[in-house]
Amino acid sequence: MTHPGWNAFSFDGIGTSWEISTPEELQEDVRAGLLGVVEDYDRSYSRFRDDSLVSALARGPGTVTLPAGASELEGLFKTLYRLTGGAMTPLIGGSLERLGYGHDYAVRPLGHPVPAPRWEDVLVWKGAVVSSSAPVVLDIGAAGKGQLVDLLAAVLRGTGITEFLVDASGDMLHSGTEPLRVALEHPYDPTQAIGVVELHDGALCASAANRRAWGDGLHHVLDGSTGRPVETVVATWTMAATAMEADALATALFMVDPKVLAEEFEFSWLKVYSDGHAEYSAGFEGTLFS
Amino acid sequence: MTTPLRKGLLVGAAGLSLASSVAACAPSAQGSTPQKTSTITGPYKDGTYSADGDYFSPNGGETVGVQLTLSGSTISAVNITVHANNPNTREFQGQFKNGIAAQVVGKKLDEINVTKVAGSSLTSEGFNKAVETIKSEAK
Repeated sequence: MTHPGWNAFSFDGIGTSWEISTPEELQEDVRAGLLGVVEDYDRSYSRFRDDSLVSALARGPGTVTLPAGASELEGLFKTLYRLTGGAMTPLIGGSLERLGYGHDYAVRPLGHPVPAPRWEDVLVWKGAVVSSSAPVVLDIGAAGKGQLVDLLAAVLRGTGITEFLVDASGDMLHSGTEPLRVALEHPYDPTQAIGVVELHDGALCASAANRRAWGDGLHHVLDGSTGRPVETVVATWTMAATAMEADALATALFMVDPKVLAEEFEFSWLKVYSDGHAEYSAGFEGTLFS
Repeated sequence: MTTPLRKGLLVGAAGLSLASSVAACAPSAQGSTPQKTSTITGPYKDGTYSADGDYFSPNGGETVGVQLTLSGSTISAVNITVHANNPNTREFQGQFKNGIAAQVVGKKLDEINVTKVAGSSLTSEGFNKAVETIKSEAK
């Protein structure tokens, strides 16, 4: 329960658990609308289902037309691809599959890590239209969950609801007059928090290397230039106006110095390293326990 | 500033039964990622046991040390030590306009007044592996 007396609408979507909290119970047609948006998103972007649009690109060269929101992903991924020197890329899917995080969740490496193909070599992405000159495993996961949070928030706003929290298992967007206190989960111990942040009219996203880990050092945050898991950073948190940006920036913080990202994005950040020390921007000042 | 190489996290409490000790890690506030449970059926010899479990960190080689004290087939004490083998000091210079905490400090979720949690929902696999090792040692 987000605030006392609020209602929660819970469901599963794109491989995670969702909870949408509102002061009044959501009408049946609003719920159906929300679930429809989730299903559309999954059918477009999931690399885990054969009937998705991106799966067509994995089968061979070709062109697909994604939903309209794809142009926002395009801009975001292009900027982050540039700022991270290719480390953060939507072409990381093949590298993930190579390490066992694919279709069948084999969760064992299929071979040595492989770097992602270079964007400029295989992919032309203009707005909603994406063409590949080779089979590519497009993975927009770094920003996709966040974008879906934003899309569901838009559905709520479209029906006149202004007070809500959309929570996709820890990546969330808050709207309303009353701020929400959110615990920052301890990266080594899920029964503990390392701090509390006050979220008000904005998005908070987290990324952690151990969230979907399945073997020694094999986790889902990969460096696209080597195809290997990123080292040293254990967990990141970001706050931004949209969940799509916050989500993507939380991943980008694993690859690049926050100063580089701060040159082009308005956001707050917190990084926790494997030795237990933390670094943060002004927006996270005073949130950590001491 | 010195970088601590070992960090102790006291996560246990006296009197936990072995069967419920790991399941108890699931934070109730979120309830999204299923936590693995370790089912242990006794009897076990009393004593203090230690084992390392792989910690699936970005550093690859890191481990968690788990120390359990068993008495009467229940865990009377748990201590987890994170062996941080890749201390990172390179970014200490030139970062003064941003904040740095030398060590993050954990507080129990039920001791702080929150309804939402943002984080990793770490699978406690490393912990569970170490418990498995201890189970076989304690037979």
